[in-house]
Amino acid sequence: MTHPKSAHVLDARFLEPPEPFVKTLEMLATLNEGESMVLQLFREPHPLYRILVQDGYRYSTELLDDGTFEVLISR
Amino acid sequence: MQALLSFEQAPPITAPLRFFLTAPLFGMLAGLLLLVEGPELFASRWSTSALAITHLLTLGFLLQIMLGALIQILPVVAGANLKNPSLLSSLVHFSLSAGALSLAAGFLSGAKAALHAGAGLLTFCIVLFLWAAVAALRGVPSSSPTIRGIKLALLGLFGVASLGVFLVFALQQGTNFSLIALTDLHAGWGLAAWSGVLLIAVAYVVVPMFQLTPGYPARPGWWFPVGIFGLLVLWTLAVWFNLEILIRCTKAVLALCGIAFCVLTLRLQAQRRRAKSDATSRYWKLGLLSSILALLMMLTAAIWPELGEKDAWSIGFAILLLVGGFFSFMIGMLYKIVPFLAWLHLQNQGKGQIAAPTMNKLLSDAAMQGQFHAHRWGIAFLLLATIFPEWGARVAGLGMILSMLWLGFNLLSVVRRYRAFARDISVRLLQP
Repeated sequence: MTHPKSAHVLDARFLEPPEPFVKTLEMLATLNEGESMVLQLFREPHPLYRILVQDGYRYSTELLDDGTFEVLISR
Repeated sequence: MQALLSFEQAPPITAPLRFFLTAPLFGMLAGLLLLVEGPELFASRWSTSALAITHLLTLGFLLQIMLGALIQILPVVAGANLKNPSLLSSLVHFSLSAGALSLAAGFLSGAKAALHAGAGLLTFCIVLFLWAAVAALRGVPSSSPTIRGIKLALLGLFGVASLGVFLVFALQQGTNFSLIALTDLHAGWGLAAWSGVLLIAVAYVVVPMFQLTPGYPARPGWWFPVGIFGLLVLWTLAVWFNLEILIRCTKAVLALCGIAFCVLTLRLQAQRRRAKSDATSRYWKLGLLSSILALLMMLTAAIWPELGEKDAWSIGFAILLLVGGFFSFMIGMLYKIVPFLAWLHLQNQGKGQIAAPTMNKLLSDAAMQGQFHAHRWGIAFLLLATIFPEWGARVAGLGMILSMLWLGFNLLSVVRRYRAFARDISVRLLQP
């Protein structure tokens, strides 16, 4: 089933650090101009936010009822 | 890519390490006091040696680790960057260590000058830390239950410190309030509004991250810290207006909130994805079970106050919550944070050309497991000493010294290996 926010979804909720960070940067590198991705985590990725801002990405985060933080990242 | 691991925001490794390496020394000092004072310590929670050991454990060990960890993790869990973390950690570490020593010496000797010096140094330490943390958090929205919880916990730290200073002066000059009610309130702000709320806020991040469990559900996640903080405000008002029944009701609800959080965390732990349990999850499980027992004792004492007035009851409660609960949570986190910090700094030093050794090579599971058993036996001996103080107190003292010595040795061995790997990486980087 596709995610309503984006076709590119990284479910990093049960991955050990630094895997979520590394895999997010890897997925971002595969995106074409105008595409977006969703990162799912059980915490807010503040260190990643800084990198996203530095590299010119936009992001918005939503906390779901089950404790998942969904970060929609686009350029 | 690896070099981007938020390293720019990380303070130098010595900033948090000085706190983490000092904490076991205070634990050993508490064990030594147990060994010297023996059964006297279990005679009454109001004895000078009981007050001294309580502050060695809460300030010298727990606050030491909490402040050291916050200096390290505020940028990671809250996106808040402390200004000049090296200078801040030097000043906070010195004033906290000297203040805790001085306060404990003041309680033991009855010397006013030592008590006042301790209170002064600790006030400086906490005001400085709060000033730096508030400045870092200014403008950071409470976008997650963790950030909201940390902000409330800082208010809790202000509350416990203010009551502590008030108590130092009230002990000598007297007060219209009941000293017992004020001391209980001081402990309530320290254990619930500061330590409890901070632990909950940080658990939301570290339990799923380190133990690969599901996340905490959002709704109770938002309300736990606010509810506990609100109950402490209510407890304070009840003491102010001398409403005994409200004090008891507040304690009972507070105990129930704590039990609910512990049960929820145990349920999450049972659903973890990591098949093999490691030192951190074992420590957290012990901490949660011990805290549940302590909180059940608190609930019972709120219903039957005569029970809570018995010294063995209140000392048993303190052992289960402080050493069984908070000590276990802190040590469990140290066993993740210290090897991770060493790994992070080595990884950065390797500049993407040389990979850092795995965390297992920095600290083996066997070393942590051995120390875990010593800690568990230490708690058992402490509890036995509340029933058989004549022979149990000194054995418990030896147990605490052994457990803390082992912890210090394990942490130092990470530092030793970190230095050896760092030297090796420097040499290899110079090779053509």
